[in-house]
Amino acid sequence: MSCKYIQKRIDEADKPDLLPFDVSEHIGVCVDCQRFATERTALRALVAAGSRVTAPMNFDAVLKARLAEVKTRRSFWWLGSPALLRLGAATAGVVVAVFVVQFTGLFSNNVETPERSPLSEAAPRPVPAPFVNPPANPAPPPVTIAGARDHANTKPSRLRRSGIPVESAMPASFMTAEDGGVVLLRGRNGDMDVQMPTVSVGAQPLLYVTAGQRTTRTVGTSF
Amino acid sequence: MAAVTHQAQAIEVGGSRAVEAASDHELLAAIRDGDEVAFQEIVRRYRNPITNFVYRMLDDYDRSVELAQETFIRVYTSASRYQANYSFSTYIYRIATNLAISELRRRKRRKTVSLFSPFTNDDGEAIEIDPPDLNLLQDETLIQDERRRAVARAITSLPQKYRAAIVLRDVEGLSYDQIAETLRLSEGTVKSRINRARNLLKEKLSAYI
Repeated sequence: MSCKYIQKRIDEADKPDLLPFDVSEHIGVCVDCQRFATERTALRALVAAGSRVTAPMNFDAVLKARLAEVKTRRSFWWLGSPALLRLGAATAGVVVAVFVVQFTGLFSNNVETPERSPLSEAAPRPVPAPFVNPPANPAPPPVTIAGARDHANTKPSRLRRSGIPVESAMPASFMTAEDGGVVLLRGRNGDMDVQMPTVSVGAQPLLYVTAGQRTTRTVGTSF
Repeated sequence: MAAVTHQAQAIEVGGSRAVEAASDHELLAAIRDGDEVAFQEIVRRYRNPITNFVYRMLDDYDRSVELAQETFIRVYTSASRYQANYSFSTYIYRIATNLAISELRRRKRRKTVSLFSPFTNDDGEAIEIDPPDLNLLQDETLIQDERRRAVARAITSLPQKYRAAIVLRDVEGLSYDQIAETLRLSEGTVKSRINRARNLLKEKLSAYI
């Protein structure tokens, strides 16, 4: 047996002072291996002899407190779960996107859908009110004013124009503008109901209608 | 597993005397069922060895106590996943070893410079400067204290991969196969590391041998 093999077995011995018989026999005749065994025994005793520390008196109490804290944290683990965080972020993103889209006007009524109010649905299809275009304005807008009669003092130049010719007939059952009725405006983007503003008796409203908007305002009276 | 569960129920019925007599595996089964007394018994059995082991790894008592407590917290929280393939001591030493190694790596990232080891070798490991004091010491207590400090410094100056192996073997007295299971290494690698660690310690502690 070589000294290297013997020293390996000395090093791997469970207890440095209890060596196998063949190793002890070799140590008895080999000075180097004997010195190696002595050094290893002293070294292992030195390392093992270091004072062992013990846990402090409050070890259990502190551990109990920390464990209670961990239990509490674990009971709310789902609050910090990645899936829930992703769902929350996605929901917030959708809400923000809806607000942004609304404020940027994607859902505004620039493109009118042909919808009618119940009043206009109930009433017979209105015939366009008689409207005489001035020769200088060849393209009057497709505007039909239901409930308004042809007044001489209205200012057609302030209305939107299109090239559709205007019919002259108007049913007698139409309400007048003074009654606060609904005006049906027929435009390029569809029909639109406009609530007439209240006017005083004897005055005739002059309307300023902007296409694409459901608002009107009185710009003056006829007298 | 069912047998272990029945044993855990028997522990509850038997009271504290049965808890003291129960094996580690039985206690773990009881902890899995929510038995606080069984957990206290596990803590009572292992708090000192684990604290001492981590202390020998870190040479920092306060931090060692914290990591020992963290070890028990992990034992408790992962009791449902515990499998009785190895001995419980191997399992808990593995947790403590991993925590201690993580702490050593954290400290290494902080690049603290010890007054005793301001230089490093080619591997980046600290070179211990520990000149032996040739003056005669007056008191045996001082001698013991100085020797203990020298051993602690020598162990903490070892490369990390050698340190865990030598502490588990020569301080805690674990067998080679237990160390191999704890460190998840082959037994041959463990023996090689322990041999290398002892050779390094012999150089550092030559004045005390």
